[in-house]
This record gives sequence, C-alpha cells and structure tokens, in this order.
Amino acid sequence: MPTAPGPTARPVLACGEVRTCLLPSFQALDGRAAAQLLRLRADEQVRVSERPNLYALSPETLTGVDCRLPTSNGAKVRAVGTVAARAALTEGRLLQSTAYFSAPAAGPDLRRPWGHYLVRPGVVEPFGRLPEQPTAEGVLRGPGRGELDLGAIAESLLTRLLRHPLLDRKVPFKSRPTRLRWVAHRIPEGEPAELTRFTLAEDGLRTVRLRLPADTPVAAAAGLCEDLALHDWLLTTVVHMLDSSRLAAADGPAAVLALRPAVDHLLHLWLPHARVDRSLVHLWEELEREPGFSRQWRNLVQRIRDQLAVQAIPLLHQALSTS
Amino acid sequence: MTEAVFRETTAQPLTRSVQLSHLSLELGHLYMEDFEAGPERLREHFAEVRLWVEAARASATRRSGGKRARISTCFLIDDYFTRFSTPAELVPLVLKEAEKAGLVIDYLARESGCAVADRIEIAESVMHRLVESPPPGSDGSRPPVGQTGWLANGRRTPAAGRAALGAVKGWQPPQETAARNHSVFMDVELFSEQDGRRLWSCPFLAAVWQLARLGLLRHLGEPVLTPQPWNGEDFPHDWDRLPPLLQLTPQAAAFSAYRTCTLMPNRFLAVEDAVRLILDQVQVDAGALAQVAERSAREGLAVPEAVAQRATYVFYEEPVNALSAEGT
Repeated sequence: MPTAPGPTARPVLACGEVRTCLLPSFQALDGRAAAQLLRLRADEQVRVSERPNLYALSPETLTGVDCRLPTSNGAKVRAVGTVAARAALTEGRLLQSTAYFSAPAAGPDLRRPWGHYLVRPGVVEPFGRLPEQPTAEGVLRGPGRGELDLGAIAESLLTRLLRHPLLDRKVPFKSRPTRLRWVAHRIPEGEPAELTRFTLAEDGLRTVRLRLPADTPVAAAAGLCEDLALHDWLLTTVVHMLDSSRLAAADGPAAVLALRPAVDHLLHLWLPHARVDRSLVHLWEELEREPGFSRQWRNLVQRIRDQLAVQAIPLLHQALSTS
Repeated sequence: MTEAVFRETTAQPLTRSVQLSHLSLELGHLYMEDFEAGPERLREHFAEVRLWVEAARASATRRSGGKRARISTCFLIDDYFTRFSTPAELVPLVLKEAEKAGLVIDYLARESGCAVADRIEIAESVMHRLVESPPPGSDGSRPPVGQTGWLANGRRTPAAGRAALGAVKGWQPPQETAARNHSVFMDVELFSEQDGRRLWSCPFLAAVWQLARLGLLRHLGEPVLTPQPWNGEDFPHDWDRLPPLLQLTPQAAAFSAYRTCTLMPNRFLAVEDAVRLILDQVQVDAGALAQVAERSAREGLAVPEAVAQRATYVFYEEPVNALSAEGT
C-alpha cells in the first residue's frame, strides 16, 4: 500500500459483506442523479461509468472499530482499525452497499494512536496473531454479540442512502434484498486466483470463499463479490417472479402483470463481469460451468418471453375477430 | 498486467498534486488583541520569533543531509472571529515589522479562508472526513456516539441518570482511549451555531490550516486554498477583497510542505493540542496522502505516517507587555 510505508505486514485475509436491493424509486436514476445519490462527501467525486452499462460508485467511508473478531472456535481476538464501506448503483436500478476490511497475520499488543489506523483505510489489525481460518469461518457464519459486525456497517450505509430525498420510495415491484458474505485468503503472487466455494444459504444469505494472489487489491475482490451478488440477486428475483406468475397462470392477464416488471426493469441488467478486475474474470467462468449462472438466466428469460407470447395469442385472436 | 484500451474519465478521477517544500514555517498568528497592543507588540514578537526561525532552518537543513532545504514562511491574520483594521492599514505594518527583524513573509493568509475559499466550503468538507477514534467495544453495530459539534480523545463521562428507585448513580470518569495508566481526557468544540450560522472553532480552522500547509486538501481532486500572486499593488480596504492566500515573495519556495513548524506564544498550547486531536481523526484524501509519501520518500525525507506527527511547534514566552497591554 503506497500510503502505508510502516511496519504493518501485508494482509493475509480480507472479508466483506454486500447488501443488494432494488432502488426504491419508480423511475431508474440517470447518471447525474446516481452521482447525486452516492455523493457521500462533498469534496470527493462519485465514479460514473456508462460503458458497457450505467454504473456509479461512491467514495469510501470509514468506520472505526475496536472489538473482538468473529471466530468459529471461540478464540477471543481483539482488533482495531477501520472498516471501509462503499455503495454502487447499477443502471440506476440496483443498489448495493459493501463493508470490508483486510487483516495482517499479526499486530502489536497495544493500541496505537488513531492516526496510525487512519492512514491504513480498510485495515483492521489484530492484537497478536490472527487465527486466520477461524476468523474466516466466523465472518461467514456471522458475528456474535460484541464481535465485528460487517453487516451492520453495510446496512447503515444502505439505510443512509435509502433516506435520500431523491428517492420517491415507490418500488415498481416487490423483491427481497440479499446478503453476500465473502472471505479471501491470500496466496503468493503469481498463483492464479480461485473461487473455492459459493454457497446459497436460506434467508437470502450467500457466502463466497476466495483465494487471491497477494497483489490483488482488496477493492478488486470487493468488486468481484458485488458483481456476483448482483447477478445472484437477479436470478433469485426472477425465479421468484416466475414462481408467483405460475400461481397466477390460470388467469392470463395476471400472469402478464406478474412478469411485466422483469421485462421493464431487469432483463437488460444481466452483464456478468462488466467491471471485474481482469485478473479475476476467470472466476466467473467457473460459476458459468457449474452451476451455470448465465445458462439459468437464459433459460429464465426464454420462459418469460414464452409466457408473454402465449398470453398474447388470445389477445391477437380477439383483435382479429373484432376487426 | 496490460493497460486497458478503453477509458472513461468520469470513472477514473485523478488527484492533482501540489508542489511541496521541505518545511512550512509559520511566523505568527495575529489576533485583534495583538493588533490593539500596538506595533511594539509585533516588534517583540518578531524579535523573539527570529531566534526560533534560525533554529527551525538549521533543523530542516540537518534533516535534508546538509543540503539547502526548501522552506517557505507564512503568516496568518484573523479576519474570522473579529474583523479589525483593513488590509491596507495592517498588512504593510506587519511586513515592515517583520522586515525590521530580518524576516521575510512569503505567504499571507486570512483565517476565514480556512472556512471558505473560492466558494468552496473547506471546513465543512474536512468535517465530513472525520472518522472518530473508536473506544474499545465499538463493533460497527452502533454509529459512533458523537456529540454533534464535539470531538473527544476517548469516552465521555456517561450522562447523569437515575436508577429505578430514583437514586442518583455515582459519577463515572471519562476515559482517554490511548491512556497510559491515567487519562488525559479532552473534548474539543468544533463549531457552534449562532443565528442559524455555523461558527467554526479556532482549533478546527487551525486544523484545516495545517492540512493546507501539509498539501493534503483537495476538492474533487483539485487543490484548494492555492496561493494567488501579489503584483505589488496596494492592499484593499476590505478583508473580503484580499485573496485568502497571497504569495508575497515571487521566488518563494512552495507554500505546502512535507512538514510544518509553527512559532507561537505559549498561550496557544491548548488550542494546538486540540488541533492535533482533530488531525489525528481526519481521513485525508488518499491520493494526496500517497503523493506526499511518495515524493518525500524519494527525496530521502520520508514523512511520519500519521498526519498529526508532521506538525511541530515552538511555544515561546509571551512578550512582557502582552497581558498588561491596556495598562501600559
């Protein structure tokens, strides 16, 4: 890290949590409005990109923490530092917030002056040795009482954005937010990055385990996980929509009504690894092989189009017979 | 790794760098009471400061391995808390007294420029960059227990509450987070509100001033509070018409520097301690921070990591007539 010439060792573990939800706004936001929404600080630019789709990324905010790390084996490790949080809006429609930090293998046994931590944004230093595996498992399982709570930090940023006066709080259709927790173990530079596990748990929780070369920036890992979370949200939401429309299938117009929002708001959002760091794009390919994210998506899109076509036939008949 | 072919400028904002000296040396801070004490007060001040300027220069030269150090000097006039005199009357007086003492003021700044300069609300932006030092037990699930407009170096005394039966709970002490055995707790007022207008506190504006001198302020990637050249014309009769930061010496070394040294009477000690408390909790622009770190290291003058550590001070004894000015 160029800003931290000090003795902090390179991080061995990075962890994060992404929240993904539909923006509560009847109209999708354009680039300018997106930049306005995500302007968390007056003096820092929102990154706005228009190719290959409209995407806006907020500046990072920091939250100071001094607490125990979540661990799966009950080890009590105090850690101090800052958790970084950022928000992204894709096509003015899907809002995501991510909180993440990385941690070195070991830290000092004494809390240092706060200025030391502020020049290492997004780094949390353990007191003594970091129990790497138990911490990774603890983060994926979720924090216990008094343990570092990434979800709460991501949620609080999301809540702040959802209160923005730009939003009319009218959702074009119902959907559920999802949470994706991720951990990335560091491997030596030069070795290829790996996605070792993607788990779909209940309650909209997903977990991802990665192995990333030491020179991959943590922000790139966060970017990959936001991309995975976004596409997983799309699959989850459209599957749910088709389920509800099947219940309504007996009644033609109701089925059309249930599927229409997918066409209006979602089908064009599928664009895997549009901004994922080049060195990580191949991780997507693994998910394409198994379980086949895009394959499932194409299948869903086809079903929606077929459904709408079938529903259109009686209307066509009607039109022909009355003319 | 190969460079990307396609670029969007709005997607990759840049942080513009500023020129940097080795040391920014502040020769003084002028308040109304100093002005009212007459030119003798300024004369006394500069005569005392002169000695410390030489020491600061010697220290900077030693640090740069005996090579000539790039040092710029500056002087700050308060036009924020009290408006007194006019630039036309005051500035030539200050320059004359400095010159008599053998000192050159390279840059002249107005304190209100640390609040707003070129229509940019600098103080407001810096306030949004505060990241409070978390007391032990902060796990991210609750927002920091900030007291609006105040910043502390630890946990405050809990508000006096009453237990169920109406008994008053015992007093609990505040606690400094970085305490060594015992606490030195400090709580700094950042601003107050008067008639719906925000009045920034002296330590907060002084913290902004330090960040400007350390080359760490940016607005949308562009430097702010940048020096305007002075062409030798008369100074205006209205403070608002004086640029917030004026370069008086054309060939002066750059205004911003790797380190700052501030020379002031010892009554400012508490204020400057508060400035350090604030600087220790400001998350400065990462791009600017990296530029300073990289360039200072390349010159073999690597800066201390923590921003507050880059500011040094000399507190000298107040001139004798300072406190009894009215009586003499």
